[in-house]
This record gives sequence, C-alpha cells and structure tokens, in this order.
Amino acid sequence: MANNQLDFVFPDKQGFAELIHSLRHGFSIRQSPAAVYYRTFYDTVDWLLRTAGSALELHDDGQSQKLYWRANKDAPLRIQLGLKQVPQLAKQLPAGEFRQQLASVISVRELNPRIQIKVKRIPLAVLNKNEKVVVRINLDENWFYPVKTRAGMLLGKRICVKAVKGYDEAFDQVEAFFHEMDLRPSQDNMMKLALAESKSSTIEYSTKLKLLLDPEMPAEEALKAILLRLLEIMEQNTAGAIKGTDIEFMHDYRVSIRKTRSALTLIKRVFPKKTVKKYSKFFSGLGKLTNPVRDMDVFLLKLESYAEKLGKSKQEQLQPLRQYLQDNRDKAQQAYVDTVTSAEYRQVLKGWRDYLESTDPIEPPQKNSRKPVSQLANELIWSTYQVALKEGNAITDETEAEALHELRKTCKKLRYLMEFFQSLYPAKKILELINALKGLQDNLGDFNDYHVHMDILKGFNEAGTDEAAIKVSTKMISRLDKKQHATRNSFAERFRAFSSQENQNEFRELFVVSNDG
Amino acid sequence: MKIIAIYNIKGGVGKTASAVNLSYLASLDGARTLIWDLDPQGAASYYFRIKAKVKGGGQKLVEGHNELDAAIKGTDYENLDLLPADFSYRNMDLILDNVKKPTKRLNRLLEPLAEEYDFIFLDCPPSISSASESVFAAADMLLIPTIPTTLSLRTYKQILKFFKQQKYDAMKILPFFAMVDRRKQLHRLIVDNPPSFMPVKLDSSIPYASEIERMGVNRAPVGDFAANSRAAQCYKSMWEELKSLMFEA
Ligand SMILES: Nc1ncnc2c1ncn2[C@@H]1O[C@H](COP(=O)(O)OP(=O)(O)O)[C@@H](O)[C@H]1O
Ligand SMILES: [Mg+2]
Repeated sequence: MANNQLDFVFPDKQGFAELIHSLRHGFSIRQSPAAVYYRTFYDTVDWLLRTAGSALELHDDGQSQKLYWRANKDAPLRIQLGLKQVPQLAKQLPAGEFRQQLASVISVRELNPRIQIKVKRIPLAVLNKNEKVVVRINLDENWFYPVKTRAGMLLGKRICVKAVKGYDEAFDQVEAFFHEMDLRPSQDNMMKLALAESKSSTIEYSTKLKLLLDPEMPAEEALKAILLRLLEIMEQNTAGAIKGTDIEFMHDYRVSIRKTRSALTLIKRVFPKKTVKKYSKFFSGLGKLTNPVRDMDVFLLKLESYAEKLGKSKQEQLQPLRQYLQDNRDKAQQAYVDTVTSAEYRQVLKGWRDYLESTDPIEPPQKNSRKPVSQLANELIWSTYQVALKEGNAITDETEAEALHELRKTCKKLRYLMEFFQSLYPAKKILELINALKGLQDNLGDFNDYHVHMDILKGFNEAGTDEAAIKVSTKMISRLDKKQHATRNSFAERFRAFSSQENQNEFRELFVVSNDG
Repeated sequence: MKIIAIYNIKGGVGKTASAVNLSYLASLDGARTLIWDLDPQGAASYYFRIKAKVKGGGQKLVEGHNELDAAIKGTDYENLDLLPADFSYRNMDLILDNVKKPTKRLNRLLEPLAEEYDFIFLDCPPSISSASESVFAAADMLLIPTIPTTLSLRTYKQILKFFKQQKYDAMKILPFFAMVDRRKQLHRLIVDNPPSFMPVKLDSSIPYASEIERMGVNRAPVGDFAANSRAAQCYKSMWEELKSLMFEA
C-alpha cells in the first residue's frame, strides 16, 4: 500500500445518500452523525505564507480549536499543540521550531484570518467482523465563507478514503469499489478554490508601483498617475499603520510618503509651483512625524537580535533601554494617530485625490507639463546620475560623514526616478542598473542606520539614570561605531563597482538619446 | 514526540484504564498518538478490539529495523494507533538483556517514530525489571496511579527509592490517586492529606467509577460511550493538567 489516503471529486448535483446505500451493499458501514467544522486560513496582508507554500490553518468544530502548520510546500501539515490561540506575530510564540519556521516566512508581519471554509462532513467507518474500524470514509461538502459574511458558496464535494494502519486488505477493497464508480481523483486544494472565488483577491494588496506609462504621454498625466498610485499604497497601509502591531504597514506607508514628496520635487515644472509647495510641505510633515516611530521600531528589532546573544543577566539590564525605546515609540505613534484621524488630514488628502484625478490639463502649462514623459524621464535620470557620480567621486577616506549622507540622498532620488519611470525602459536593462545602484545604497544605508542607532543610544545615556543599562548602552555604541567604520571602509569598493565604466556606458545607452538616432 | 509511561509495580491499580483514556484524549486533540501495550496480558489491546499478537514476538521487535512500524494497528479513533501486546513480552527482560545497553534500547527503538507521533503512551506491566528500567530511561513522564491505601503508598515509596538509587531523574515521576472511593475513610484521609514523601503529584485524581469498569464490556475509552460521566471528566481534567505541565513549563 503506497498511499494511505485517496481523494475523489463527487458531483456537486448528486446527494451522498445513494453512495452510502451502495457502500452498505458491499461493506459493513457505520455512519456517525454529520458534523460541521470551519477551516480558517491565516496569512499576512501580502500573502507571505501562501507565496512560500506554507499554511497556517485553524480548525474549529465548535467544541475545540486545532491549529495546523505547514512549513513549506513539501512539508506535511502538522498540528501545533499547546497553543491557546493563533499568534498575530511570530514573536508572540514561545521559542522553538514553530516560531523559527514561522518567523523565517513572515518576519515581523501580522497574521490575520484570510479565507474560511466550512466543511459539512458525514463520517463513515468500514467495520470488520469484530466491529473494528478498518477504513474511514469522509463525505465532505466544502463551502466557502468569505470571512465575516454569512452567505456561503459551494466549492465542491469530496470523498476522502483513509486507511487505518495495519488493515491494508480492507483499504484495497474500498479502493476498488471507488475505482469502479469512476470518480475523478481530486488534487486541488480547497484553499486555492476558495481564493479564486474570493472577491477580495481581486483587489490584491501590493506595495509595488506596477505602473505602465506610455512614452508619448504628457508629463503631467504621467506624474498624476504615479502620484495616484502612491496615494493608493498609502491608503492601503493606513489602517495597519494606525493599529501599529505589524510594523511593515508603517514602513510601507512611509515609503509611499517619501516617494510622493520626491516625485513632487524631483519631477520639476510639471505642476504649478504653489501646488508643489503646499503638498510637499504636507507630506514632509508626515514624514517627520513618523520618523521616530520607524526609528524606534527598527532599533527595538535590532535590540532583540542583539539581546539574544547576551546572557540572561545582561538581557535584564537592557530592560530600561527597551522601555525607553518603547515609550518614545508609543508617544510618536500616538502623535501620528492623532494626526491621521483628524478632519484636517482627511480634508487635505481628499483635495489631493481630487487634484490627481482631475483630467483637466494644467493651465497655464508649466515648462515641462506637456513634454513627453520619456523625454523628461531621460533628462531627470541622467542629470541625477551625474550628480551622484560627482558626489561619489569627491569622497575620499578623509571626507566627513556629511558627504556620505548627501550621496545617500542623491542615490535615493535616483532610485525613485528609475522606479517611477521603469516601464519606459527595457525591463532587463533597467533592472540591472537598479540592482547596481542597490549595492551602493545598501552600504550607504547601513552607514546611516548605525549613525541613527548611535544617536538613539546617546539620547538614552543622556536621559537615563540606570547605571547598568547605560553601561550596556555605551558598550553597544562602541560596537556600532566599529561596525560603522567597517562600512565606511567598504564604501570605496562599492562605489567603484557602481561607477564602473561598464555601468556608465549602460546608463548612457539607456538614458541619453543620441541626436542622430 | 513525548513519551508518557504509566507504571506501577502493582497490578490492578488503573494503569491500563489511564493509558487508554489519556491516549484517547490526546488523539481527540488532534495529536498523533501511539499506545504501546507492553503487558503480555494485553488488556489495552483488548479495549481497542485489536488482537494481542505481534508477528515474530517481542524478539523480532527489538531486533528489526522497521518491525515496530509494521506491527502498529490503527484503532477506531482517528490519530490513535496501537502497538499490540504479545505473549512473548513476558520475557521482555530476557529479550532486552540480549542487546547491548538494555536501558537505552527502548529509546532507540522509539526514535524512528518521533516523526510520526506527537505522543507515545507506554502501558507497562506490573513488575520491576530491566524492561521497566528501559521505560524509566525512555519516558519523559512516568505516571504512577496510586490507590490511596497504606500498602499502595508503601509501593510508591519503593519506586521512588529505586529511582534515586539508580540515579534516574526523579523529576519525571508524577503520582496521582486512582480508584479513589470517597466513601472509604482511609481514602479520604490520604487524599486530603497526602504523605510528605509525595510532595509532587498531579492535582487531578481518578475516582472509583462503574463507567471505568464498563470499558471492558464496551471495549472503548469512557469518553467514547459515557462522555458526560464524572469518570470521563476526571480523565479530561487530568489530560489538561498534563498538557499544562508539558507546554507551559
Ligand atoms: N477508577 C476505576 N474505577 C473502577 N474500576 C476501575 C478503575 N480503574 C480501573 N478499574 C478496573 O480495575 C481493573 C484493573 O484496572 P487496570 O486499569 O487494568 O489496572 P492495571 O493496568 O494497573 O492492572 C479493571 O477491571 C478495571 O476495569
Ligand atoms: Mg494493565
């Protein structure tokens, strides 16, 4: 017996009564009362579990709840015992294999119920002459219930034949019976079918720009399209950012704010000056407001991985620092929540949306308003690239940190521009250049992060009173300082790779239109 | 995988009844559960309507590679399998004595099942021997059903002493009161004032109950045919207590 379970598709329109009847002809069958249970599939907003082939499934039959976990598509579905409830975040789990596996897939993201299936089951058992169960047969009706709604739709009927260990002969007989019935073996999983039915899956959550721009499109239309998409991403992440459990929502929210502001100020002379001024001020205010939230989130996370390397007693010494960070975060988070829930915020965003959705041409047009977007994109990317090269080339081992921060900002601008206009260029080529830029940005980003983290710790030391915690914090500062130096030392090499002749040629080829061509 | 042994030198104290009912409750939780009927008398096998026979006997089981798995039978309950008893188990000492390190042997025998089961319950025969010693070594928990009588308490003391002498981890030992009959004065006295050499024990106990006796007629765990009985409830709270000990440590 190779298999210990067989699944068949049963026609939706047929009832099970006739099947049970004919089973009784060949076998001694015990039928238990029909039972109902719910399968709820948990996932992150961006379907990290499903994408990884993992699954976290809660079964609830009204009496008890069972949580099942599959680490990847080749792993078996395994029950997780001893859990009182489904965790929202991986870190809420006790340390162990399950937590480790879950965290490796969802990282810091939050789990929520995404799909619910109701199963109506008629359990049958095939008995031998001692009235011992030798095969189990489940007759299942699977219903899809979008989470929180009451109307279901039938996904399909299935028959599941399960072997009972050590009774192979009986299983073979039941298998033969079902083969004779000419039922189609079922391979599909109900979760996939449910997902296809689910209307919610059509409004996919995504933080990617996914813009398709027409090269001939006037710049003003393109800019509106870019900004509208960014507004969408911002709005998709607002509820999560307000809730604050899953820190990725705030992160994505902030990225879209930063990109909005960059698009406004970098893609110059398309919108009227006063529009640019008004909204870039608004978005930069939001950015500043949320800076400390993100900084503390990132640092708290770092602190956890740092603390894991310490002994128990040292870990306790970190508690005042942790508390300090948490307090600062909570304060900043509250200020953010107050702002986004205000009437004023809503009003500005509505005005912004109205402006972006209006199809009226800008009057009077600014210098670049009607320029074809591809031409403007070339000019902007090329000139920003030139600035990056110039700034980078001026940096030597002796240069002040300030210059690296400037270059980091320029690179970020360049990166955003390349992403905004990505669809105007051959996909593979632009991606290669984005990746080359990424290599440099990682180095500059790390350098900056160390700086921010040292600043936070210095702030703690100045405000703090706990001797032991300050000692640990001071030690961390010197560690970070060393790391920052190492990062600084590898800058030259990273920059050399980025500014290689080969890359320069590629940039030229892509973004400089030769006059004779 | 957690190995839970139900053990006592004495017979007739409710070992098998406990092993059968607790393993049933584990399987109801969805845990993949195995109960190994180590008593040649085969009471646990009988309760699950499975013949107390293993091809090749105990000798074959300890020698082979895959013999254990091949001998396992599914019970009437989903997630609950049974490794049947065999009359040859009465010689388990001799069988185990033939292999190197008999105390480690059981551990190694059960190792391949770690991927397949969340819990293995060992329903032990009433004796003390090298076979019991390999159970002591392998088990994560050793449940000792103890009837609240003077003699039973004395037996418990002996087990404890033996454990300490042989340097087994005495922390594994968890006694509980079984077949408690509160109509009897002595039972009441002992249960309400457990002796000082029993500082750690399960809070839950199992009463003397006719439903448990009826398991032999129904050939099923009490939870199956008398789910609302006091006896079934008591096993249930004992299982909850065991889980909290295992998972909330
Ligand atoms: N709590 C109880 N109440 C009443 N009868 C019990 C109880 N526990 C066990 N019995 C009965 O006592 C006898 C011995 O129990 P058993 O579980 O087989 O003990 P052991 O395995 O320790 O020898 C069996 O007939 C069983 O039905
Ligand atoms: Mg017994």
